[in-house]
Amino acid sequence: MNRTRSYLTAYVMLLPALLLMGIFTLYPVLYSVYLSFTQYTALELGAGKPPVWNGLENFRVVFSDPLYQTGVLNSLKYLLVVPVLQLVSLSVAVLVNQKLAGIAFFRAGYYIPVITSISLAAVMWEWVYAKDGLINATLQAVGLLERSSAFSWLLNENTALWAIMLVTFWQGFGYYMVLYLAGLQSISTELEEAARLDGASRVQIFWRITVPLMRPTLLVCSLLSTLAALRVLQEIMVFTGGGPLNSTYTALFYVYSKAFQNFDYGQAAAAGMGVALVGFLLSGLNFRLTRENYREGK
Amino acid sequence: MTVLERPSQIRIPTRARVLSTLSKVWTYVLLSVILLFAVFPFLWTLAISLTDKTVVSGVSIYDFPSSLFPSKLTLNNFVDIYQKFGLGKYIVNSIIISSCTVVGTLLVASLAAYPLARLHFPFRNFILALILATLVLPSETNFIVNIITLRNLGILGTYAGVVLPVLATAFGIFVMRGAYLSIPETLLEAARIDGATELQIWWRVMLPLSVPSITALAIFTLVGSWNDYFWPSLALITNENLHPLAVAMLKLKGQFNYDPFNVAAGAMIMMLPVLVVFLAAQRYFMRGLDGAVKG
Amino acid sequence: MLKKLAFVGLSLLASSAFAQQKTQIEFWSWYLSPKFDDFIKGVISDFEKANPTITVKWQDKGATIERDFQATIALGQAPDVVNFWNDSTAAAVQANLLVPITDLTPLATLNKAYWPNVLNIFKIEGKYYGYPWYGYVDQGVMMYNTELLRKAGVSVSKIKTLDDLIEASKTVKAKTGSYGWLPPIKDPNGASFLNWFYLDGLPITQSGKAVFNSPAHAAVLQKYVDLMKADVIPQDLLRKEAFQLTNELYSQGKATFIVGGPQSLTRVKDSNADIYSKTKVVGAPLGKAKVQSGGAFSLVIPRASKHPKEAALFAQFMSNNTNQVKFAKVVPIVPTTKGAERDASLKATGSKDPIAIATGKVAGTGKLINPGFAAPKNTDAVYKNFNDNIEAAFLGKKSAQQALSDAVTFWNENAK
Repeated sequence: MNRTRSYLTAYVMLLPALLLMGIFTLYPVLYSVYLSFTQYTALELGAGKPPVWNGLENFRVVFSDPLYQTGVLNSLKYLLVVPVLQLVSLSVAVLVNQKLAGIAFFRAGYYIPVITSISLAAVMWEWVYAKDGLINATLQAVGLLERSSAFSWLLNENTALWAIMLVTFWQGFGYYMVLYLAGLQSISTELEEAARLDGASRVQIFWRITVPLMRPTLLVCSLLSTLAALRVLQEIMVFTGGGPLNSTYTALFYVYSKAFQNFDYGQAAAAGMGVALVGFLLSGLNFRLTRENYREGK
Repeated sequence: MTVLERPSQIRIPTRARVLSTLSKVWTYVLLSVILLFAVFPFLWTLAISLTDKTVVSGVSIYDFPSSLFPSKLTLNNFVDIYQKFGLGKYIVNSIIISSCTVVGTLLVASLAAYPLARLHFPFRNFILALILATLVLPSETNFIVNIITLRNLGILGTYAGVVLPVLATAFGIFVMRGAYLSIPETLLEAARIDGATELQIWWRVMLPLSVPSITALAIFTLVGSWNDYFWPSLALITNENLHPLAVAMLKLKGQFNYDPFNVAAGAMIMMLPVLVVFLAAQRYFMRGLDGAVKG
Repeated sequence: MLKKLAFVGLSLLASSAFAQQKTQIEFWSWYLSPKFDDFIKGVISDFEKANPTITVKWQDKGATIERDFQATIALGQAPDVVNFWNDSTAAAVQANLLVPITDLTPLATLNKAYWPNVLNIFKIEGKYYGYPWYGYVDQGVMMYNTELLRKAGVSVSKIKTLDDLIEASKTVKAKTGSYGWLPPIKDPNGASFLNWFYLDGLPITQSGKAVFNSPAHAAVLQKYVDLMKADVIPQDLLRKEAFQLTNELYSQGKATFIVGGPQSLTRVKDSNADIYSKTKVVGAPLGKAKVQSGGAFSLVIPRASKHPKEAALFAQFMSNNTNQVKFAKVVPIVPTTKGAERDASLKATGSKDPIAIATGKVAGTGKLINPGFAAPKNTDAVYKNFNDNIEAAFLGKKSAQQALSDAVTFWNENAK
């Protein structure tokens, strides 16, 4: 009796969370898988008709669409931001992990981009990247750029994706810095001290001691950052809408466009499955690296 | 004694001392350069928002360096954009959406975390695993299905439609569970002996002792919700009038592109509350809670 | 018996409650709030007074209006009256989303109220789909910054043609560093560049086939590509919200001319009163063909509307002559209704105010509005491809000739 009541209490307390998660997190995952094998467009939805099974048709259409291939390629290109972001964040964490006057001030400053909405970032960085914007003006001032050959970074198909990647980097390094900082504070400094006494340089200490010791955190952060980069969408929506000449068209932007410009939910779901698959492969790779690290480390 | 010691102290600043001072200077230079990279867009936007644009020959945000150091300052742009764009409506929307999200998240997470941390019941581990699984399941296309679900529930284009789907997160539940796990069992036993029900224990013992975690979760949720752009823009696709600031910001930008001073003022208005919360509660952010805000 | 009485009583109650139940219709405008809130809300409240059983819920949409339109229809929450333009109306008709307005309003009534040339803009596959709302002319007037012209030593009386305007822009750029004229090149809602062919008298389609790939067409495109390369016109004309670039730069003293509808002046006045005070207005220079182009906004009614009759009433009310003239007094738009040209309050009164002068110049030109070309079938895809090709030419990825040939090929394959 008492036990059933205590069970009941437990389930009642869990109910809101399970209900909401079930409806808005688990169900959509399962239903998306189903949708990807069906024909389901604005027509069916508008008429209140259920999805119609059409096997692998969506996958055939989507995977052979050159725009989707461009999207996947651009998303993979976007992954290049990950190693740079992680190494810089770790280095910055090492830098701010010193007892220096005012160090808290710097740490806080580095975190401000993290708490900036992407819609605000869009406003600010568009001015930075404009043809007469801050970057070009600076480059001209130091003589690296001729006035006549200046161009807008977001309107050039060779630079637009890189420009958006820099915004991702800008928004991300403070976040990962904090994660690394937590990691750094939990590892012992003895090795570092010893190396320093042996006359090792800062760079040597970083590569030979800090990076190996931080490897578990590095791998977790890399995974987070890889998945985030693979799923980049909001940045594209607010900056370029996929242009110029589809040079910033990413895989998830394709998913979004299929759903909210072509209103073909089946194809959108199939395209999403493709992205998910790449995500799984990358996560698997990451776990293998983590395991190897575990064996070597211990 | 101090007099005697002084000469030896003067003797030390040889090579090593100079080197260490030098490296300190270098460290600060480096720190400052990175700081500049992190905050220059804000400083520039702030400068633009304060610029008096009614100068006879016209001012451009691209006149450097005067655009970075405006000669005539004014707050007119703020008043201007507030009135011309009707910012008040969007601020109210943002406040309602963010506060409902924070309260809801806290309630859902703190309730669910208690049995998961301290009670024994069938399927406990299964439920834990399920919640954990939501972190790794492919969620790329969830937004599509959720829009359809909201339609079917009749809450598309309402505050509830924006808020409900984001309340239950594995992150929130695990933060609260961690807090409860650190509370000594003896406190719970004592309360049980006094005849308290589990709900009373949750309310009178667990919650008061978890205030730091609750605060941290509240702040992270607040900032995330205030800044969120993608989800509200879809969940409110049928009702422009309920858009929060983060979504309205892009409409403002589209509409006032011809007047970047006003756009900058609008951006600063949106940034300010987040900045204040951040500066007041910095230590929570600097603690590095995994999985928060981004990732 | 008692049961029966009770039933009658109940149904009476129910029907009286039903009688008091107001019909709510939803109206979407495009980029009009909050600037014109007073005007729109005023018209809505006038309408509700005249039709006490109808209430109007108003939303102002921005860049996402076409996306939101289709999405809300699919989700079963369609609006009832929507503010579209030439191309979006055509695209919505192709997707079979709109009601022909002649199903709701007799053609004779429409013909009596609006200029036929404007009604025809929204005549698609033989049927009318849009109540003409406010219009605009692309070459209505030319507004210029007198100080910049003085510095550059350019006399405005010499500018008669588009080529004169280009020459003047080169001089202004060289002497002052500010841009001269900013021709629209690309916009997300249409195919701006086709206009330059039209203004030079070059054909766009012939018997349904796109033909804008002759060397003469390529030369026009090349001319503008070269202008951008030489930075006589800014590269930012290719950005997402390029349609506002002219206003932005003009208000900052970085552009010298605005050619088009004087509605821009309202925004210039708002953001920089000093530059506004230095602005003068003259007739706009024309292209080789000496023609004008323009367009109009429409009020359309989706098939999914649950109250099409009430929606039609409201659309007619919003776009009637009285309300369009009122609108023209708030901002210098071109009324598309017959009778507006005779309205004394819109005539130039010898005022020195640029907006008043411009209003006088354009208010009566509704019967001259002519988009120059009709939207092709499969509008969205065809125009996207066209704009991509134009962009490729400006970015130097394709030659002008190649870009136009590719666009023509795509057009003829897809606009069937």
